[in-house]
Amino acid sequence: MSSEKILSLIDLHVNADNTPILKGISIEFEKNRVYAIVGPNGSGKSTIAKAIMGFPDYKVTRGDILYKGESIINKTITERARMGIALAFQNPPVIKGVKLDKFICRICRDCRRISDNRSGRHLGEIDKCTPDLTEGFKKLLIENLKNRDINDGFSGGEIRRSELFQVISLKPEVMILDEPDSGLDYDSLKLVGRTLKEIRNSGKTTMIIITHSRYILEYLEADKVFIIEKGKKVFDGDKTILPQLEELGYKEFLNRNKLR
Amino acid sequence: MKNNKELAIKAKDKKSPIGEDIDLDVFKSEDRKASSKRSMEQIAAEERRLMENVGVNPDEKKTAGLYVQIDQSKVFYNSLNQKAEILPIKDAIKKYEWLKDYYWNAVNVDTDKYTSAVELELHNGYFIRAGEGQKIREPVQACLMLKTGNIKQNIHNIIIVEENAELHLVTGCVSPSILEPALHLGITEFYIKKNAKLTFTMIHRWGKRTLVRPRSAAIVEEGGVFINNYIILSDVGNLQTYPTVYLKGENSKAELYTVIYGTGKSIYDVGGRIILEAEGTKGKVVSRTIGADESIIYARGQLIGKHSGCRAHLECNGLLLSDKSRLTAIPELEAETTGVELSHEATIGKIEQEQLTYLMSRGLSEEEANSLIVRGFMTINVPDLPATLQKTVDDAIKLTKLTGF
Ligand SMILES: Nc1ncnc2c1ncn2[C@@H]1O[C@H](COP(=O)(O)OP(=O)(O)O)[C@@H](O)[C@H]1O
Ligand SMILES: [Mg+2]
Repeated sequence: MSSEKILSLIDLHVNADNTPILKGISIEFEKNRVYAIVGPNGSGKSTIAKAIMGFPDYKVTRGDILYKGESIINKTITERARMGIALAFQNPPVIKGVKLDKFICRICRDCRRISDNRSGRHLGEIDKCTPDLTEGFKKLLIENLKNRDINDGFSGGEIRRSELFQVISLKPEVMILDEPDSGLDYDSLKLVGRTLKEIRNSGKTTMIIITHSRYILEYLEADKVFIIEKGKKVFDGDKTILPQLEELGYKEFLNRNKLR
Repeated sequence: MKNNKELAIKAKDKKSPIGEDIDLDVFKSEDRKASSKRSMEQIAAEERRLMENVGVNPDEKKTAGLYVQIDQSKVFYNSLNQKAEILPIKDAIKKYEWLKDYYWNAVNVDTDKYTSAVELELHNGYFIRAGEGQKIREPVQACLMLKTGNIKQNIHNIIIVEENAELHLVTGCVSPSILEPALHLGITEFYIKKNAKLTFTMIHRWGKRTLVRPRSAAIVEEGGVFINNYIILSDVGNLQTYPTVYLKGENSKAELYTVIYGTGKSIYDVGGRIILEAEGTKGKVVSRTIGADESIIYARGQLIGKHSGCRAHLECNGLLLSDKSRLTAIPELEAETTGVELSHEATIGKIEQEQLTYLMSRGLSEEEANSLIVRGFMTINVPDLPATLQKTVDDAIKLTKLTGF
């Protein structure tokens, strides 16, 4: 596997609502590898994802984010998305009156390519991308969501799978998944695990997974594991730490393995 | 028998309790009267374009008939498959003696100065009837066009769906957007007989200075279904309407859907009222209002439950796109007896940053994200609407030039 850098966080400081949340985080992500970001609740994991994606309420006050060597902190979310960064949301909002299948068809990479040639407008015509679309819904066992308004009344597990499907259909180079496994039952967990594994095996995507689940990370054979605490990266290791981490919990684990 | 003329004269100056008062004397009558024609070839290209903007296509094959009226007296009509009966109301009154039992029956002639004006100076309108047991799936199309400035257009329509019949009617009302001030008064009386069904889809597209005062009411008999779908996505000078449905027969049902996309400095005051008078009646009033530019929108709704065992729901949702626009939702519930189940939900909001962020992260531009949210908000799926009509509605929504971003 090549060790080409694709994304770098350099001394990243981020404020939300004038409160410092991230306090100097530096991480290098290499192409097509799998990274785990773990840490206690409220430590800043989602904030890292939002800052990379470019949420307007999360201001970079110091440091930089480089994507393929270029600073992206002044780029809009749309620009970052079109450059190949995608995020599966932890708590996505409801979009009334927009059906999930139509939406996925509209955003999917292949439709985007056709539509870009046609004066930049989307087609969003379901029949044009039916095979992939139908297959995806089937594979993730969310065919019941096809004709529903986006995220309207979706269960936790349905949200995870719908987010995963959307992100997959964007065919991104960097895929950030914010707790893609929370609230899933055993069967769905396996399903999501298998789907993520397929992405890893196809070797075209860098995956950044925020999770608490040892199962997913071991199954995916995460290349690196970072622990975030109070807005800082406090540990840097690989998947071999997971059993100990699970046994001891963050507090005790960090007491014994301090980086600081 | 009541004397409509006399009642109308008495109500000549009676103001409407809602809506800005309009001085009717400013508007003229046509100079030259045209006569009823049956040939569609005489519709000019420009007129066709206007009609298509409101979902009426004279060349459409899948239609059961057409009625077009331009200004006061130019009328075209046909009944293609001979199933639905279509006539100018003036001809229908002459033809059918019994029509007087329907004329000014659902709507009172002395409701206000506007109903009075239509009685005192009638320009025409349509009479459409589906005969007993006739289920006509292809829609009947009607277009009322106001093309000349400074005139008034006084319309009286009557729609009768006889027992066990089914009718789908789309009516487009349209003016060129730059027209000088003009006035449209439209009376529509709907009669849905036992176990009959009517879907009525009305699409309005007026000029910036057009004044509009429709007055309509429906009477639904036992087991009858009335679905009303009203869409206005254009400027208008000032529009006020408050259609009323009387569910008189047991187990009859009515659903009223309204979509308003307010633009410019237009004023829209649109309501929907259902009076549930019998056992097992059901009603639903749903409105989606979107305030752009400096538009002012009132979304009214009223449910009156008069018989135990009736059930109805009212839903007014507003989306504010501009700080200069104003939305007001006025839901009213009235139970006149016990055992009545009425509910309502009213919301007014704006587009959330969170929604934009979400859609943009999927590669949409901010503008695309905004219009997707607005279009989604406007989407209402009307039950029982034939696919061609749902498409008409969807197309009309697609035509909206989404302003404000
Ligand atoms: N928009 C915001 N305004 C203020 N505080 C915020 C905002 N977003 C997140 N925070 C705070 O930042 C901290 C980190 O949040 P988050 O990144 O969501 O944590 P995690 O995902 O690790 O659980 C929390 O204390 C949270 O309350
Ligand atoms: Mg989080």
